[in-house]
Amino acid sequence: MINRKAIGYITANYSGSTPSKLLEDRPLASVPFIGRYRLIDFPLSNMTNAGIKTVGLVMPGNYRSIIDHVGHGKDWMLDRKKGGLFLLPGNPYGTTKRGMRFLLRDIISNKSLFQRSDKPYVVMMGSNIIFNMDLNAIIDAHEASGAGITMIYVKAERAHNDINALNIGDRGRVQSIKVGCEYGDNKFLDCFIINRELLLEIIESYKSADYLDLFEAIAGDFDRIDVCSYEFKGLAVGIFNEETYYHRSMEMLDPATNDQLFMKDRPIRTKAHDAPPAKYSSGSNATNSLISAGCQIEGTVRGSILSRGVTVASGASVTNSIVMQGVKIETGARVENAIVDKNNIIPANTELRGTPDSILVIGKAPIE
Amino acid sequence: MSKKECIAMLLAGGQGSRLGALTSKIAKPAVSFGGKYRIIDFTLSNCANSGIDTVGVLTQYRPYRLHAYLGSGAAWDLDELGGGVSILPPYATQDGGAWYAGTADAVTQNLDYIKSHDPKYVLILSGDALYRMDYRAMLATHVDNNADLTVAVMPVPWEDASRFGILTADEDKRIQKFTEKPEKPDSNLASMGIYIFTADFLIKTLEEDALDQRSSHDFGGDIIPKALADGKRLFVHEYNGFWKDVGTIASYHETSMDLLGADPLFDLYDNETPIMSNDTTRPPHYIGPDGRVDDCLVSNGCKIMGTARHSILSTDAVVEERAIVEDSVLLPGAVVKSGAHVSRAILGENSIVEEGVKLGSVDITKDTAVVGNDVVIGKGE
Repeated sequence: MINRKAIGYITANYSGSTPSKLLEDRPLASVPFIGRYRLIDFPLSNMTNAGIKTVGLVMPGNYRSIIDHVGHGKDWMLDRKKGGLFLLPGNPYGTTKRGMRFLLRDIISNKSLFQRSDKPYVVMMGSNIIFNMDLNAIIDAHEASGAGITMIYVKAERAHNDINALNIGDRGRVQSIKVGCEYGDNKFLDCFIINRELLLEIIESYKSADYLDLFEAIAGDFDRIDVCSYEFKGLAVGIFNEETYYHRSMEMLDPATNDQLFMKDRPIRTKAHDAPPAKYSSGSNATNSLISAGCQIEGTVRGSILSRGVTVASGASVTNSIVMQGVKIETGARVENAIVDKNNIIPANTELRGTPDSILVIGKAPIE
Repeated sequence: MSKKECIAMLLAGGQGSRLGALTSKIAKPAVSFGGKYRIIDFTLSNCANSGIDTVGVLTQYRPYRLHAYLGSGAAWDLDELGGGVSILPPYATQDGGAWYAGTADAVTQNLDYIKSHDPKYVLILSGDALYRMDYRAMLATHVDNNADLTVAVMPVPWEDASRFGILTADEDKRIQKFTEKPEKPDSNLASMGIYIFTADFLIKTLEEDALDQRSSHDFGGDIIPKALADGKRLFVHEYNGFWKDVGTIASYHETSMDLLGADPLFDLYDNETPIMSNDTTRPPHYIGPDGRVDDCLVSNGCKIMGTARHSILSTDAVVEERAIVEDSVLLPGAVVKSGAHVSRAILGENSIVEEGVKLGSVDITKDTAVVGNDVVIGKGE
């Protein structure tokens, strides 16, 4: 059903605090994830699966890959006459500051999205922590609580510098927010529901502090605003740098983990392509791997993730690696503990090896 | 509406009764094929790859799944202003209504559709074969010959010729004779059931045929013989690529197997003329720690924990631990439970082969085993 209560606002301009070859010409939001997806697919799909039909997407400065992937939102059924996908200008330098996802200036400069809506709530999300969530249940809980804001969190299963933690007091009220989280903290998912009227008030009241994150700006007013919390029991995967990208991706090789992100009744949608089914030759050997359509496997693939259209020639091997779209691994080449970005050709009999503690990253091949 | 050079009419109403359990609830053109495709994808992709932007799809038998699959035609870039895919089922009129009585009748009942596009030429197609063809080459043949009707033909082995509709042509490729399943063929050019008509001739011919009480309203049986008898300009367009009908269980299985191997007879990986489909967005497939995949096509959403050899695994098919699948086609969502052994079988959509069950035989003299859509095969069945 079309959501009658909420519109969506997604920020895709968090650019990460550590540089990476993977981010040379794309924002974190459009980094490929387990082959066929990109991180931005998750917030968009969560919105879509809740029937939200008006979504503002705040763009980073290097937005080419996002436009290419998202287009006018057709794959998420967001090419609507009523509502639809609105690509919004964001701070072109991104929000590199640790913990900052909802830059007040971006919210203020796009306030027409909120002014034009007639829905009572706005669901706001970043794109670096991915999950598959029944947003409607949370919208209902928010409505029942009467709070101004409901922040969604999980119990942190590990420490993380880039993620904010919620200090929660009586009746689930959020007392304060700290940057960085420890094991067992209430890890904020960069996802919250806010009353639209309240958001418009905040925009008016905090205009002069527009260089702050929304939550920094209102930190002193949590009592008055009534900031509530909601614990999400599912899987939330935070991706902020090469290390988290590699390890969180590899964890998806466990079907039990994978099943928590991909479920048939709440599908993750992505840009559709016409790649044929993956083709395995006789004598190929693939185990414990996630392999996308359009791959042609003659050699050996172990513990790896292959994007669309990767070829692994006979006698070549890929082990514990992430290989992105269109990479060709020629006869006898070996790739191990590596992330190989799009369109690289790994020549015959060469070796690319990282170690489990130091993953080798090969940037995108230039287009010839 | 603006004038079109050539539009296509795709005959997709057939039941496909020879596909047995596979078409019990779904029209033949909508039957899954090749892992992620449905049979009609090949013809629609040919249209799109040939630059044809207007396709009327004539549907009749159990059309819901087919209609849903076609949608707006966007999956084949056929959501066009003033054209694109139009779904044309039988309809009622002030005088009642009737089912499509034959291939020609189906087109006759949609002459309004054809006239609204005012095309110069009309391409008649059926949606039940696997082939890649540039219809522009056939249209060029038709135009060069100043033909009224051009029939696409392919050479078949002489010993098989008596199973086909055979066309006999002279040196100029002008058709002299058409014989349905001749006992003693004098030509080995078989009709592929693909026709290009000059539109004015088609409209006139069909309007006459509609009034003919003795006609069974079939292109092969009535329209072509009559046009020949009337001395019209009928030519053949010879096609030499891969073409296979997937209308029987045996040919469906055999054609599926033709997609496999190092140098397949039909290459899904031809990027110049891609086969497009209305894809479901499912995650990449997973091959488990003990999974073994050898000479297979594997689609998104599959989970392979056991062994698959020389088989086609469609979207969301599952092969559990210690299960073996060989020389088989698993349609979308088919599940082979742990320890089961499936040989030379076609498992319908969302069918289940229970734990430890043995199904089918590698003996090629035996019939291919077929499990219908949603059927569960337990022990002792």
